[in-house]
Amino acid sequence: MSKEIVAMILAGGRGTRLEALTAKVAKPAVYFGGKYRIIDFPLSNCANSGIDIVGVLTQYESVLLGTYVGSGQKWGLSGTNSMAAILPARERGEVGATWYEGTADAIYQNLNFLDGYDPEYVLILSGDHIYKMDYAKMLEAHKERKAAATIAVLNVSLEEASRFGIMNAKEDGTIYEFEEKPAHPKSNLASMGIYIFTYKELKKYLKADAKLKDSKHDFGMNIIPAMLNDGKKLYAYEFDGYWKDVGTVDSLWQANMDLLADKELDLYNQKSDWKIYTEDTFSHPQIIGEDAVVTNSMVTQGCVVDGEVTGSVLFDNVHVGQGAKVVDSVLMPGVLIEEGAEVYKAIVDEGVVVHSSTVVNKEAKKVELVAKNR
Amino acid sequence: MAKVIGLVNLHSDITYKGLTERRPVASVSFLGRYGIVDFVLSNMSNSQLDSVGILIQEKPRSLFKHLKSGQSWNFNTKSGGISLLYNEQYANNPKYNHDINNLVENIAFIKESKADYVVIAPAHIITTMDYMDAVEAHEKSGAEVTMVYKKINDADTAFIGGSYLRLKGKQVTEIKTNKGNRKERAISLETYVINTKVLLKLLEYAKKLSSFFDLKDTLAYLCDERNICAYEYKGFARCIDSFESYFNTSLEFLNLDIATQVFKSSWPIYTTTNDTPPTKYGKEAHVKKSFVANGALVEGSVEGSVIGREVRIGKGASIKNCIIFTGSVIAPGAVLENVVVDKHAKVERKTELRGTKEEPLFVREGDVV
Repeated sequence: MSKEIVAMILAGGRGTRLEALTAKVAKPAVYFGGKYRIIDFPLSNCANSGIDIVGVLTQYESVLLGTYVGSGQKWGLSGTNSMAAILPARERGEVGATWYEGTADAIYQNLNFLDGYDPEYVLILSGDHIYKMDYAKMLEAHKERKAAATIAVLNVSLEEASRFGIMNAKEDGTIYEFEEKPAHPKSNLASMGIYIFTYKELKKYLKADAKLKDSKHDFGMNIIPAMLNDGKKLYAYEFDGYWKDVGTVDSLWQANMDLLADKELDLYNQKSDWKIYTEDTFSHPQIIGEDAVVTNSMVTQGCVVDGEVTGSVLFDNVHVGQGAKVVDSVLMPGVLIEEGAEVYKAIVDEGVVVHSSTVVNKEAKKVELVAKNR
Repeated sequence: MAKVIGLVNLHSDITYKGLTERRPVASVSFLGRYGIVDFVLSNMSNSQLDSVGILIQEKPRSLFKHLKSGQSWNFNTKSGGISLLYNEQYANNPKYNHDINNLVENIAFIKESKADYVVIAPAHIITTMDYMDAVEAHEKSGAEVTMVYKKINDADTAFIGGSYLRLKGKQVTEIKTNKGNRKERAISLETYVINTKVLLKLLEYAKKLSSFFDLKDTLAYLCDERNICAYEYKGFARCIDSFESYFNTSLEFLNLDIATQVFKSSWPIYTTTNDTPPTKYGKEAHVKKSFVANGALVEGSVEGSVIGREVRIGKGASIKNCIIFTGSVIAPGAVLENVVVDKHAKVERKTELRGTKEEPLFVREGDVV
């Protein structure tokens, strides 16, 4: 079964800066937006872009992510000719047990999987970014230019640019230089970690890179520079929608708040039809009680709200008791805010109970992560 | 262990006025998120029945759309799953379009199942019944048919036109129509456990009695000569048999004591997924005592209402005691009280619609008012 393009989602990272939120789950499995897990975004983007073979490369805490992704049914990817395949770091015939030593190595270790589909192109994605993007359009651009690699880039401010991998490109998009987190950025085109490679080029470079002892086996640091060195055609593909790498507690909180502030990320498809698919829960519709106040918030099914909720995002089965107050916060699934408790500017982790009369982070100077019952 | 299959019986004379013009009762939206049929299907799934057949009376399109491949109700789709049983030859012939004829037409479903017992239940009576309790009672009593009933004390207003049972011990001696002239009745929940062999014989026999006899008529006819037992169900039950009872039962759920009787984590109610985002409440939203499904955008005021998926309620709009179906748009400033708004309708700016609790107004699917 040959495919024009196969997508590979790098989902092995822990995301240590998310602290307790990734103590037991990989970063791509972290909850976002009242009902989703982060990996729903690249998976839905693949499904909506008409890509039907998606490899999901897992390493850190791979069990939950593996069972969650399953065969890809939640994203409509489990047909006769489509699937999501979990590709954990594993024991393999020739080399024995190995870990993924870098983003490029992760793909290298799965060349057999890719060969099985004999693809012309491979799309490399990160499992921990939030955005809506039509990869089919990016593939069109890649094909038109007969590129060896096309890299999606985002216009960031020059101040921000030193936090990213920066592509220095000519006016026509031809990349001539890549700089990882430059102190003095020459351009503001930040790599989004989204690459389309012409597969036979990619394979050649991955095989060569695998033999290099001092390589970090990383796309940004090794593969892209090596291709540039050889004068391969690399293009920047500009993306101008909402994109967020939710790597820290602060940025995860901010991304949730962005949903309330009507930033470009439109989950309600008011502008274009691009659904984000996720796991369905078997919960009752949300119940808003007699004494509730709910404003400027997102609330999902299974919630029972009888207190005051403003500027907050509530996941499945969150209960907010009478007289309780939840302000500018993100309450993960199953959180219980008992009667009279108050929570300000916090992320409350899955299943946590905030007991009655407890007040969390009243000063609200910075985001507080509540990972244990209070 | 005995093998038990389920039959959801959608044959009935029940309509909900405009709501059932183009869809069967089974797929009428309920509580913003469900179809009426989800409750009986979830009960069958939670009761671990192996396989379920749905006896479809009419207007199957919206039901097919709701059920999709039947996976949402958690039946093992290899060993069982949901089968849609439909009798096309009688589709336009109401007198003949009854459950017995449907079963006769689709007898292969019963025969091939190799089931010991068949549980038959309707969609319009909402319960959280574990059918295996009734099956157990059925096995113990050695009856040919077990009828599930509930003792109610509002039979003068509820289950009108349904059946009540006269009992002698556990034996059913008579099945009568409830005309509402007494409060206390042993009301039939139209839920039966039947030995498969008995059911097959009963189908043969019914044809000889009358071509117009349905299952209910046949059981009523047979109950003094066959071994028909009664099993009492003591849990939650509501009969939604009219537009008015649909409206009242929906709003009754807004009472948390009622809702918690039905929504228990040990007894999930399954439905088909629609991949809608959480509901978003605007800065000026004002919501009280309501059920809200996902995907809605609420900027106005909502009280005592059921809001369906992807409903839009504009700023300054006021919704009181209403049921708003999927995808309907209520423009800013509109005022609605005691109204049922069917799917994808649009209520324009400044429109005021007021029904009464007894006679709620109805806005048809897709209408602009």
